[in-house]
Amino acid sequence: MEVISTKNLKKEYQGSRFNKEKITALKNFSFNVQEGDIFGLLGPNGAGKTTLVKVLLGIVYPTEGEVSIFGDSIKNEKYKTRVGYLPENHKFPNYLTGEQVLHYFGMLSGMTKAQVQSRSDEYLKIVDMEKWKKTKIKKYSKGMMQRLGIAQAMINEPDLIFLDEPTDGVDPIGRKEIRDILIGLKEKGKTIFLNSHLLSEIELVCNRVAILNKGELIKEGTIDEITSTGNQHTFSTSDLSDAVINILLSQHFATLHGKNEFLVNTESPEVLNSIIDILRKNNVNILSLTKEKNSLENMFINLIGQQN
Amino acid sequence: MIFKTLVFGVIREAIAKKIFIGFFAISTLIILGFIAFVNFDSVEGIVTMSGDEVRELVLGFESFTLGVSYLLLITLCLIGVSSIIPSMLEKGNIDLLLSKPVSRSQILLGKFVGGLLLIFVSLVYLIGTIWLIVSFKFGYWNASFLSSILMLTFSFAVIYSLVIFIGITTQSSILAILINIFLIFLICPFLASREQVLFTFITGDVGHFIINFLYYILPKPNDLQTITGNIIKGEKVVSWQPVITSALFLITFLSASIFVFKKKDY
Repeated sequence: MEVISTKNLKKEYQGSRFNKEKITALKNFSFNVQEGDIFGLLGPNGAGKTTLVKVLLGIVYPTEGEVSIFGDSIKNEKYKTRVGYLPENHKFPNYLTGEQVLHYFGMLSGMTKAQVQSRSDEYLKIVDMEKWKKTKIKKYSKGMMQRLGIAQAMINEPDLIFLDEPTDGVDPIGRKEIRDILIGLKEKGKTIFLNSHLLSEIELVCNRVAILNKGELIKEGTIDEITSTGNQHTFSTSDLSDAVINILLSQHFATLHGKNEFLVNTESPEVLNSIIDILRKNNVNILSLTKEKNSLENMFINLIGQQN
Repeated sequence: MIFKTLVFGVIREAIAKKIFIGFFAISTLIILGFIAFVNFDSVEGIVTMSGDEVRELVLGFESFTLGVSYLLLITLCLIGVSSIIPSMLEKGNIDLLLSKPVSRSQILLGKFVGGLLLIFVSLVYLIGTIWLIVSFKFGYWNASFLSSILMLTFSFAVIYSLVIFIGITTQSSILAILINIFLIFLICPFLASREQVLFTFITGDVGHFIINFLYYILPKPNDLQTITGNIIKGEKVVSWQPVITSALFLITFLSASIFVFKKKDY
């Protein structure tokens, strides 16, 4: 089931007061997110990531195009009862305690007082903030604010959660804990829309990714699809004899890569199996066979570099 | 439930920013001053006065309270509530609010009603307590004095609608304070006394028309105070026009604020 769907989405902002030229933040943007996905949105600064999230949440109005969430138009506010959101650089009223923040935003999400009371302790425990619940948030560190923000985004038990830079300011242990929370949410069938600069983080938790540049969607797919370099396979072996090398070069157009390593470009499992047969027949030990992948970071830098 | 949360959010913010406590402290000082004053020996002797004289004295006390409350209200309104809308519109805060299942008009009306409730409770404390003190002391119970709570809350609502509009369009609390001070303490008193003061300098029909036009479209805090004074004294209100035109001002600016808020990207 499609949880988020946009069609030909366009967003233009008015330029400065003295410059009437419009700034296009999103161009003809069409994409969708399926139920249960952890969807990562990548892009350099100013690519339109936050604008997209704000359009999906009705904070910013689209200039053109269609947006639907849970199959309905976003013109009806009702879908927001099933949505949680952690904005980048969020600002909770600093005179509230952690517990009061959850109560306030839980009630604004349409929950009853009893529901908020029963859930706030549970979510504060999940984000490891239970012992700070009675402390005013103005005394919280950046990491603690992020944890509280995540609890706030989950308090109404939403089906769809938007997280904008959720690990910003969080230490490595905290990041790991946040990743575990996200994976736990996915296991519960929740859909997560993650906006992050940390590509390694996206690579670790997301199953689908979209790359945005200058308001345009330049690539979308699973992490494997995005990071795949095609059909290149690397064989790492024990000593290769000249005879075996000749067979590989002539029959399978292999490319030697060091003394005992070679690359083969094929998508056919039969070809890979026949190479394995050749190697085994010639008493060559296969140490590893891997499909070549690019890191998400390399892929991202290459793609953005090409575009710019 | 969502609307109630928004309304009480304003009260909580006012308590946290010491606005509520400030009003409470000043009101308590005024009340203590009243208690001290009515216990003076010279005032004690007044209890032996005739019924009409006591009535006049009580009405005098009540009119004084009205004047003090009005000044206190305007000052508190301008300083205290002018930051409510700009702080709501701060980045990171407004995003979160708009992501909730609550319409933009509900958010703004929640802030408006919250501000009104804040002033209403404060006025109930100040005016209600002084009414009790004066009534107990002199044995003259003028219930119509309590109507000033509603009239002052209404005066505040009119000013607050402009504060909200300036907050929504400019996100500046300083500008809201400046415009309101200029309007309430300078323009409106001049326009209220236009026939006695302004028309002696401006004699042409066009000039009169412009001044009358400004008078009718702008709020009329001075006239509202006069009407409240008439109600307290049990006198006949000559014209309700200031109440009606001020209410129209309130509706116009509140509607304009909702319109702008609904159209804007955040």
